[in-house]
Amino acid sequence: MNWKKHFSTFTGAAICGAACFAIWPEMWKSYGIMGGWLAATIIISIMWYMNHWLGVMENPPGKIWVDQGFAVSAAGIAWGVVRFDAVLAQALPTLICCAIGGVLAAGAAVAVKQVLPRYNGQADQKKP
Amino acid sequence: MHQFLSTYSDTIGMAPVSAITTIFGSFCVTFVIIICWGKLVEDFGPKGGMLCAAIIVGTFWVVNHKLPGFGINPEGIPHPDGGSKQFGLIYQGFKGAAPWVDMGTTIAIGLWCHGLFMGKRGERGALVRESLPRVLAQIVGGIVGGGLLGLVGWTGANLFGYK
Repeated sequence: MNWKKHFSTFTGAAICGAACFAIWPEMWKSYGIMGGWLAATIIISIMWYMNHWLGVMENPPGKIWVDQGFAVSAAGIAWGVVRFDAVLAQALPTLICCAIGGVLAAGAAVAVKQVLPRYNGQADQKKP
Repeated sequence: MHQFLSTYSDTIGMAPVSAITTIFGSFCVTFVIIICWGKLVEDFGPKGGMLCAAIIVGTFWVVNHKLPGFGINPEGIPHPDGGSKQFGLIYQGFKGAAPWVDMGTTIAIGLWCHGLFMGKRGERGALVRESLPRVLAQIVGGIVGGGLLGLVGWTGANLFGYK
């Protein structure tokens, strides 16, 4: 059964990656900033619903969350290399900076969560 | 100072100021997603997640990835004083000639590290080992999807002046 779960993750990743880079640049070229914003709405919403809400990407509870961002990231680089003959190593500086920013944000979020009422269990349980 | 920060550096492949903006841009989007997305899904269910796609990813796409001008100008708009400008916070290497680095990278790495940091101290090794096959499946899937999509550039069709 395990390979089917990984196959499911693989399929979701391939679809998500292809959808992002098939639609996003074209929407931006056609409609500018608002096109990019709209592209996020139409792509990420349905891809999130499929991959993370319905669970096409395997994410067992209590384990490390593996986000579809990995798929988008890998697809962006592969798309650039195949379509525009870009040099793979030239993406490294930005990749490293992005990784630094991600790790910093994760650390900051862990620290901030300790004082947020919704996260440290001190929020009013009543819903409006 | 200004000279040093904004001059292109071969060692790091970008101007030092671009490294600062890239780290800041990736920090912002990752932090907002870690804090807000889960709670919005808790509050509104799947509608909250689809709302997040628009109001978080869409909004931070404008912050991180907008390019100058109307339409994609990977090389940036030439500045009258020479050089070119990129307006998104996340710098695209070699003035846009490098493969596209999406902010998905930083979101994924941030959420992965967040899961790691939230794990108990003794269990982190097991958590990492459990997650690696899933990460690998995603990256292979992304490469296949993106690579196959890139093949459309090989059809030789020359519609609307596309290269």
